[in-house]
Amino acid sequence: MKPGRLERLQRGLVRSATCAVDPDFVAAVEGGGRLSAAEAVAVYRRGYPARLTEALGETFEACWRVMGDEDFLAACREFVARTPSRSHNLSDYGETFPDFLAARADAEAAPFLGDLARFEWAFKELFHAAPRPGLSAAALAKAARPDSVLRLAGPLVLLSFGHRVYGLWKRDRADATPVTRADWEGPERLALYKEGGNPVFVRELSAPEHAALAALAAGRTAADALAGSGLDEAGAAALFAFLAEGGLVAEASR
Amino acid sequence: MGLRSAHYARLLERPRTRVRWFEALTENYMDSRGRPLEVLLKVREDYPVALHGVSLSVGGVEGPRPGYLERLKALAERVQPFLISDHLCFTGAHASNVHDLLPLPYTEEAVATVARNAARAQEVLGRRIALENVSSYLSYRESAMTEWEFLVAVARRADCRILLDVNNAFVSAQNHGFKAEDYLDAVPAELVAQIHLGGYSDMGTFLFDTHSRAPTPPVWELFRRTIARMPGTPVLIEWDEALPPWETLEAQAVKAAEIEEEAREARTA
Ligand SMILES: [Fe+2]
Repeated sequence: MKPGRLERLQRGLVRSATCAVDPDFVAAVEGGGRLSAAEAVAVYRRGYPARLTEALGETFEACWRVMGDEDFLAACREFVARTPSRSHNLSDYGETFPDFLAARADAEAAPFLGDLARFEWAFKELFHAAPRPGLSAAALAKAARPDSVLRLAGPLVLLSFGHRVYGLWKRDRADATPVTRADWEGPERLALYKEGGNPVFVRELSAPEHAALAALAAGRTAADALAGSGLDEAGAAALFAFLAEGGLVAEASR
Repeated sequence: MGLRSAHYARLLERPRTRVRWFEALTENYMDSRGRPLEVLLKVREDYPVALHGVSLSVGGVEGPRPGYLERLKALAERVQPFLISDHLCFTGAHASNVHDLLPLPYTEEAVATVARNAARAQEVLGRRIALENVSSYLSYRESAMTEWEFLVAVARRADCRILLDVNNAFVSAQNHGFKAEDYLDAVPAELVAQIHLGGYSDMGTFLFDTHSRAPTPPVWELFRRTIARMPGTPVLIEWDEALPPWETLEAQAVKAAEIEEEAREARTA
């Protein structure tokens, strides 16, 4: 079906604001104030990347700080030009920004940027997630057996990175110390979680702790998860104390 | 007053304020089950709340995005707002959201499109909504009616109400060369559910709706004139950019409330 007049005008304005100015649209309008039609279209054209960049800046604040204004804003410009927003919510924008940052040419100098951005995206998602308080420490102690399957609550998200980024993220906003290789070299495993309320917590995990939690999240029994993880007895006790005290287990079933 | 995250810490201490109600931006809460929603529900225990959206895209030929109305309804069920509003505009296409309040041509086709989408929204929500006039920086050659004729036609056809933004009417009047008084006087009082005031920026060649400052004297004058016809209408000062201290915002809200009270007293005298 041929698009109607209103549809053609709307397509023309969307195209003009987000990619290339549509001369047919410019011809169909008059500028407000003392603006020409083209200048008036340019008002909407300027606003678009500014809003999407602002959204990226809010979610990826640490990346911005580490990259500096010039580099971060250039990356945003490039990303916005090739990535339309499909959500009604601006704060949903930028899910693929971490991959984009990781693949950029200058990523060699800062190879941790993709991981830092992934951390920030995960943090934002968890910030908006509903808190789900789990069993109390006492209830868990009563219910859990070695052959129990523990359904995790919290919510709790496991992250595993090739670079250490949590320290960079934690840095003070005003801290302008240059980032050196020693700051990010080496792998990092983290748990992001809520303890039944809204604050988001971060815990650094050892490789065996991460393996054990990943196995629990996949539905393996407590005994299986521990056996496959390489955690020793003290490590296992510490990990269960963490789950119990945070109320991070919703249910222990057999 | 507009509920902004900068106010969360203060409001959670439940201070006595002179604010009568809060307006919350729908999209900041409809997708969040975290702290923003927690704060909004706490604020709701102490104040009436209006939900004001920016993404309904009621004038879009594709209609609201799939799932949007259902999410809005779920939020409204929790918040029980006294009003749900959005803007008389379109915000882009489903595949490319511009996240802007894009102007519509004032044509019969646009009236019919808005009416169809608004009717669907009201059916899903089970209540009437209010649509707000927006500031615009361009006009369409094929517009067949004035902006206020369009606004009123839409409200009547869609059986919805109007959120009358006096500042936007002033900005559009200046930008498109008509008298704001003609605009505001033409809006029937019984259709207006709420009034917005805000501050624009003078860009030299046009006025730009930035919500970054207090309403200007001519906008206060227009408000006085408008509220005289519709005393009792809830009024909100919009301030989103360069947010001043709480006390400044509160003083602005009190000023608007006092003008509204004068209008009410003049009506009963
Ligand atoms: Fe407004």
